Amino acid sequence: MIKRLLAATIVATLCLMSGASATETINMWVRTGVGDSFKKVVEAYNASHENKVAATEVPFSELVQKYATAIAGGQAPDALSMDLIYTPAFAAAGQLEDLTDWAKQLPYFNSLSPSHVRLGTYQDRVYGLPLSVETSVFAWNKDLYKKAGLDPEKAPASWGEIEANAEKIRKIGDDTYGFYFSGGSCGGCMIFTFTPLVWGSGADILSADGKTATLDTPHMRKAVDAYRSMVKKDLVPASAASDNGVNFLSFTSGKIGQQSLGAFAIGTLVTEHPEINFGVTLIPGIDGGTSSFAGGDNFVVTKGTKKLDAVKEFLEFVYSMEGQKVMAQYGSLPTRGDIADKVLEGLDPRMQVGLQAIGVAKTPYTLQFNDLINSANGPWATFTNAAIYGDDVDAAFQNAQSEMQSIIDNAQ
Amino acid sequence: MTGSGQKQPLSSRRRRENTQWRGLLYIAPAMLLVIVFFVVPVIFTGWMSLHNWPLMGTSRWIGISNYTRMFNDVRFMSALRFTAYYTVIVTIAIFAVAFPLAIFVEKQRRFVGAYRTVIFLPVVIGLATASLLWVWLANVDSGFIGPALKALGLVERSPNLLASFDSAFLTIIIMVVWKIAGFTMIILLTGLQAIPAELTEAARIDGAGRWQRFRHLTLPLMRRTIALALIISVTGSILAFDQFYIMTSGGPQNRMISVVYYIFNQSFVSFNLGYGAALSIALLVILVLISIVQLRLLRIGEERP
Repeated sequence: MIKRLLAATIVATLCLMSGASATETINMWVRTGVGDSFKKVVEAYNASHENKVAATEVPFSELVQKYATAIAGGQAPDALSMDLIYTPAFAAAGQLEDLTDWAKQLPYFNSLSPSHVRLGTYQDRVYGLPLSVETSVFAWNKDLYKKAGLDPEKAPASWGEIEANAEKIRKIGDDTYGFYFSGGSCGGCMIFTFTPLVWGSGADILSADGKTATLDTPHMRKAVDAYRSMVKKDLVPASAASDNGVNFLSFTSGKIGQQSLGAFAIGTLVTEHPEINFGVTLIPGIDGGTSSFAGGDNFVVTKGTKKLDAVKEFLEFVYSMEGQKVMAQYGSLPTRGDIADKVLEGLDPRMQVGLQAIGVAKTPYTLQFNDLINSANGPWATFTNAAIYGDDVDAAFQNAQSEMQSIIDNAQ
Repeated sequence: MTGSGQKQPLSSRRRRENTQWRGLLYIAPAMLLVIVFFVVPVIFTGWMSLHNWPLMGTSRWIGISNYTRMFNDVRFMSALRFTAYYTVIVTIAIFAVAFPLAIFVEKQRRFVGAYRTVIFLPVVIGLATASLLWVWLANVDSGFIGPALKALGLVERSPNLLASFDSAFLTIIIMVVWKIAGFTMIILLTGLQAIPAELTEAARIDGAGRWQRFRHLTLPLMRRTIALALIISVTGSILAFDQFYIMTSGGPQNRMISVVYYIFNQSFVSFNLGYGAALSIALLVILVLISIVQLRLLRIGEERP
């Protein structure tokens, strides 16, 4: 009896499996906070193809641990839009599908975003390919500038100017604020929007080889002071002190005069908040210069997935002119250099600033990125809150510096 | 005569063996559950704790290194300190609220059923749900507490309750008391109701005042109930995680990392499953020791009623 039941189940399963192979459904994960570009490209793909992509959004601060646990538990999705910074760690752990042979025969392989491919390559094999590119930029609300008596077309060029403008904007009304940042221990937000202040002036938080923490520099002290001063003068909403990234797009409320955000946000603003009249420029360094964080996602495939062909078909669609256009419209900069100009043709000119930022942008390279920077309880996230909101700035520097160093040393 | 005399103990022993086997049979399902879902995982955790066991990749035997590392781990020590601080404060707060409530709802009065229900209601909400609810209540702009204080004219501007340690800690304590006190109240209530009315009556006739009756009659007779409520409360507080994770993500400047939060971070953020396992074993030992001490102090299990 049991044997017969078992046989029946097997037959039924086989039927289901063969039925599914005609049209596959790829399960994909994507992190939150990357705008709508991925969602929209999935919609476009699903509308025009037999195979379907089922995308699941995972909170950006938990994506890595969720994916790692899912792999350990055998429940991993077929493919993933992964913060490019994590590709080396997962490739090194042997959890990703080797895409080398297929990738290299793509006619445009050599014009794919080089920093993505570099981080997606481990021991000369390609495990990750660029999916979305974004850079951090500085945005200001032109309507609020006008109301405050400022020139709405003149982009601020220094942090002194930003603070002075913020003071004027704050005077407009009780619920209008001059500046915003996610200050409640959001490591990801702050590495994206705050480190450009020191990068622009030539300093960095890690040494070039990633083996020494170099947090305590005069530039970082000045950058912290600039933010502290704006908080103290009540130019930043009180909610910023505990915002762990959920309200990163506060600028969209129209009550924030200035904020550093990303190219994805430009896409969101243009498509979903057309009422907000804003300008975009590069983030000024604290002592002159400009900088930006070049980030974005790599497309990686979980080792052993049975839907490799469908996954490849989806990725080829993303790289097509149509796919690239959809992505760019919602704020992801083109991943294919050879058609970048054509893709951006006719799109919002402010996207060009995002593209321009790539020229001055940096991407920190460290295998401990999650532990050091992104984790809500990591030293960087804690530092940003303690230094800007805490009472003891010196202690904040000291603690973060020594904890970062000890994490780096323990991992050697 | 002699034959039956020799036969007697044999059959009684067999009967006794029979009963023992049958008893074992009866508890077998429970034993099976305990073994599969507690004993085996604990043994496996112990085994993992002796390895460098990453979430992905291969594990490596490192002996007791994880345990020695623990003693030099500043962050683990501060997590222990914070958990102890939280446990003491929240347990006192829960009892300070639950005991009067239990005495209040014990007496038969009008609407007592409604009071009991209302006070018990928060208990049936999940802790994560309650935390999310309070995140909204404590929100500086769109929440309830801050704007209400402002509307009443008590503060000039709506305060961001979750931004500083003291106010965030206070918010969490109030939330947990609101959530848990009803449960402790029900436990204490059963203890109160188990005290025979004749005893109180006799004490009153002997001229004992209200406080004397409480101190010398109610408290001693409720020792077992209090012990139960205390152990549940202390164990629950030491294992606290959801409220800190959801409401403050570890608190302003990491000052609200409880031990379980730290174990979670080590295991699933830093991917050190082996070290996380060692910390879990340490926590298990701590919990067992604390429970033993509590039972000793309350002298439970020494005499039989």
